[in-house]
Amino acid sequence: MLLFLVLCPIIAAIAIIAGVPARLTALVAAISNLFVTLALLSRFDRVAAGFQFVSSFLVSADWQIHFAFGIDGLSLLMLLLATIVTAAAVWFTGRIDNYERAFYACLLFISGGAIGAFASIDLFFFYAFHELALIPTFLLIGIWGTGNRSVAAWKITIYLTLGSFVLLIGLILLYQSLPATTRTFDIRELQAVTAAHAIAAPMQRHIYLLLLIGFGVLISLFPFHSWAPEAYASAPAPAAMLHAGVLKKFGLYGLLRLAIPMLPDGAHYWMYLLVILLLGNIIYIGLVTIAQKRLDWMLGYSSVMHMGYILLGIASANILGTTGAAALIFAHGLSIALLFAVAGQIRNRTGTLLFDDLGGLAKVMPFAGLAFGFAAFAAIGLPGFANFVSEILIFFGAIQNGWEMQRFHIFQIATVLALWGIVISTVYMLRAYRSTFMGTINERWGKLVDLGTGLRLPVVLLVAGLIWFGFFPQTLVQMVTPTFRPYFTATK
Amino acid sequence: MTFTTKSLLPWLVLLLPLTSAGVITLFTRRRQNISALISVAAVLGSFTFSCVIFGKNDISAAEFSWIDIHGVFTVPLAFVLDDLSKLMLLVVSGVGSLIHIYSLGYMRDDKGKSRYFAALSLFMFAMLGIVLANNFVMMFIFWELVGFTSYVLIGHWFERDAAANAAKKAFLTTRIGDFGFMIGILMVWMATGSVVFDDIVAHLSKITSNPGYLTIVAILIFCGAVGKSAQFPLHVWLPDAMEGPTPVSALIHAATMVAAGVYLLVRVAFLIQASQTALLVIAWIGTITALLGALMATQQSDIKRILAYSTISQLGYMVMAVGLASNEAAMFHLFTHAFFKALLFLAAGSVIVTLHHEQDIWKMGGLAKKLRITFATFAVGALALVGCPPFSGFFSKDAILALAYERNMSIFVIGLTTAFLTAFYISRAVMVAFLGKPRTDAARAGKESPLVMIIPLLILALFALIAGLESVAQHFLVVPHEKESVFTVPALALVALILGVGIATWLYRNRERDPLHLDLVRRRFYIDEFYEWLIGATQEFLARIAAFFDRWIIDAGAVRGTSGGIFGLGAFLRLFQVGNLQAYAFLFGLGIVALIYFTIFR
Amino acid sequence: MVTLGDYLIVSGILFTIGFAGVMVRRNIIIILMALELMLNAANLSLVAFSRFHVDPSGAPNYNAQVFVFFVITVAAAEVAVGLAIVVALFRLRQTTHVEDITSLKF
Repeated sequence: MLLFLVLCPIIAAIAIIAGVPARLTALVAAISNLFVTLALLSRFDRVAAGFQFVSSFLVSADWQIHFAFGIDGLSLLMLLLATIVTAAAVWFTGRIDNYERAFYACLLFISGGAIGAFASIDLFFFYAFHELALIPTFLLIGIWGTGNRSVAAWKITIYLTLGSFVLLIGLILLYQSLPATTRTFDIRELQAVTAAHAIAAPMQRHIYLLLLIGFGVLISLFPFHSWAPEAYASAPAPAAMLHAGVLKKFGLYGLLRLAIPMLPDGAHYWMYLLVILLLGNIIYIGLVTIAQKRLDWMLGYSSVMHMGYILLGIASANILGTTGAAALIFAHGLSIALLFAVAGQIRNRTGTLLFDDLGGLAKVMPFAGLAFGFAAFAAIGLPGFANFVSEILIFFGAIQNGWEMQRFHIFQIATVLALWGIVISTVYMLRAYRSTFMGTINERWGKLVDLGTGLRLPVVLLVAGLIWFGFFPQTLVQMVTPTFRPYFTATK
Repeated sequence: MTFTTKSLLPWLVLLLPLTSAGVITLFTRRRQNISALISVAAVLGSFTFSCVIFGKNDISAAEFSWIDIHGVFTVPLAFVLDDLSKLMLLVVSGVGSLIHIYSLGYMRDDKGKSRYFAALSLFMFAMLGIVLANNFVMMFIFWELVGFTSYVLIGHWFERDAAANAAKKAFLTTRIGDFGFMIGILMVWMATGSVVFDDIVAHLSKITSNPGYLTIVAILIFCGAVGKSAQFPLHVWLPDAMEGPTPVSALIHAATMVAAGVYLLVRVAFLIQASQTALLVIAWIGTITALLGALMATQQSDIKRILAYSTISQLGYMVMAVGLASNEAAMFHLFTHAFFKALLFLAAGSVIVTLHHEQDIWKMGGLAKKLRITFATFAVGALALVGCPPFSGFFSKDAILALAYERNMSIFVIGLTTAFLTAFYISRAVMVAFLGKPRTDAARAGKESPLVMIIPLLILALFALIAGLESVAQHFLVVPHEKESVFTVPALALVALILGVGIATWLYRNRERDPLHLDLVRRRFYIDEFYEWLIGATQEFLARIAAFFDRWIIDAGAVRGTSGGIFGLGAFLRLFQVGNLQAYAFLFGLGIVALIYFTIFR
Repeated sequence: MVTLGDYLIVSGILFTIGFAGVMVRRNIIIILMALELMLNAANLSLVAFSRFHVDPSGAPNYNAQVFVFFVITVAAAEVAVGLAIVVALFRLRQTTHVEDITSLKF
């Protein structure tokens, strides 16, 4: 079943290039992927440890590379995110005037790359599938983008390729640091080997730093974030949805899957650096977001900012924080996808996303206002949505790290600052909502058309995902905690 | 978990309004009148069940586990059903029901009725959740939801810039309070390992053993109340919130949501009363708020804003009572205030809607003759507010003043002054708006409001009259008794009352415009302007610097710099490609020499 | 006795003269001649090495001298091709000055 999940988008993309009707094929592929994921969800065994639904084909015996896929709770959550956002992104694609087939093919390649990376349990294909998604991103932004699109396309591609390069060095180093007889690319065996005899501490630190920087560039960790706002602002809405919602999370998934289990010493050594950097994401980028005057730039910067929270969960190195991080990956992906989707629709209709130009749109586009409102309040952590659950898990996890009653530790200060970041996010999000949808309406927009009934379904899909885990968080918690439990039994 | 009727009732109370909100949003958005009826039915159902629950002494509700991570972090969904929460259930659902019915009339011609009633139902759900929550996280969830529904309702007429800004301001200001609240919750959890109130009480010694820690925790939790109950310095959102429809102002910003802060403080009294410093801070903030609110009310010309500042002031009294370590007095005043303040707002709403949404008291006048019942009920509310015996406000305010007299004389003096000011501003409002001669045509043509709006007024007026009497109040709560000074305090309070009413009557009788021009007070002590300046100087300034830094230093510097560096390196290397054969031959030779050197001599 | 070192010095001097000629002279044909000089200098050193390298068993080692034959053959072929290119270049550019032919400049 997993093989179908991974190959379906890629085969569909190739078919579209070959000539089948583009939108129909893409929709069918995306929706069938979604149903397969839901089927996997229903048949998933929450209690069993290890990877399930494994399918594996040997590719190279000398190097021990397998074309292997399997899921556990964490990757199932990622797959759910990827398939939901893909379906929504494909659905939200409007009329494409030039090279329509190539557009859908690129979208599906990105989706296939992400799904392949999340489902893969072989390190080689884990990296390879992610690389698959880089060039389609370049094409999407460069050809169908708006604004300063060629600069944005070049910037994101070269930056992410550099990041992938650093990541590759780290992964090779990881591979090499294993004892020669046990070297393998299979993630399960890697985890077993590193659990049995850990890699030497100095080596762990080097590898972890490389992985941190490599994945960090992919996540838009401060100060490697400059590619993100311009790229998301210039990208067509479906591309922004897929990238900000899904592809960016690859780096976080990599940290959770590789760095935490296999490099605990390294993680501990670089913990303070990570905390400082993620505070840069939260506070510094938060302030930058406030100063933005355009909706697309604001959303781009805000997606960078929220990565800081996920990293705070990862840095806290306990089961609460990492569960919260995984949950926030899912929640943030859905909410930012919806935000970009509505912003893209507004841009299509009005041609501008400057706050000064817009205003009062809720009068003529009430459903868009409702959808954006849901997404905005989800993003700032309103209870009822999954973001709130994940954020409190992260806060409770982070603040207890190294706590003593008499003194303050960096994690307590970081948590307080991160909480202030929530206030900052409220400022810019509400300001954006007010400037766009509320207030007196400019006569130019008097004749705008609201989102069609066809687009209501993907909105409902995205919101439903957020509300389901917001109301019933235990389902998510039960799915994800078994993945992390082996690594945090010693501490809380 | 046994599913007897008893254990389901509290859940019904909580979930009926939520169901109503869901049904309206999903199904009946086009049928506005049906939405309204669904909402009213839901809240009446909640009220009925609340009455049943109030009657039962021994009731418990089914529990669920919302989050459970191996016992390290547990958040249950469970209810606390003691006398305090049962009382609050009654007050919230009772006043809520009356206001729902009133809204049927007030919002009759509004185009967004479904949206309004859905939000109103959602608010009831959230407020009842706050009252029923048995742990900090659950309370925080509903706390935030209440803020959200308040945002939606204040911004109901979102096409008005003023309303849109007011909604944003309200949510943001309360969020700042919630920031402190959350840190407090985190600190409590770290020390005791639980967020459930009963568990925290059991492990309280872990916090109280460190007085500094305890004080910080208490003050941080108080922050949440400062935001939600519009205490100084986070009071600035409440007057602006009057942009919302008047029933919203009555329900949310007078009777219930703002009282949530006081309820929180009473609920976690075990933490607060353990720290003398925290109590002192709380008492003084309450006192300052009471005084400030009353002062600012004296110069307002919008009737709703007068009532808004009055609410701030009365909330200050309640917080003062909490700070003076008497939960009974605070709850008593909360109880009576809910009735008479809601009454005042609804009566004002009746006036406003009759005069076609006119809110300036200087454009009213002589309404006592035209709107007799409205005037009568407003007068009842006003008398309760100033604390005139035998109205309810007299007993509750008297309890607080007596408390202050006994425990902190300076606070008592300020409280007494505030009582004087209270009498002054409300008499001013009555004088200018209801008595005298009509000042505009609209005022001349005013007529009484429809029955659906009058009946709630009458019911509330009844409660405003009798709720303070001991024979009535004792069924609902513990009526505070102060031992000494049985006569001094009421006497002084009456003096303040008479002074206030008298001076206001003398000043404002038969006036066309306001004889007093106290700019400082009228501009609300320039606090709003100060905040605007502060935000501009810090946040906006920092944001601009950060944006500049990001655009030009990190982006241009690092990114463009790297690419520029690569280009430069390319340009430098290009210099070797001269196309000249002999130059190439020269470089050959150099290479060979270097090779020989490195192989033979190194 | 003339030692190996003497032959090598002569070979080195010849090589240097040839290399200097390649670098300095402007006429392509002269450069080709200088190139030949370099090749022959290498040949000289090869023969010298063969002459002075005697196996422990006493038999002389002729490997280098055979290699010289290879070098002479290759040099001849190279001159033929080189001169053909020079002729074609002259027909195209009407010049034999190497400084005028810089099409590969960036």
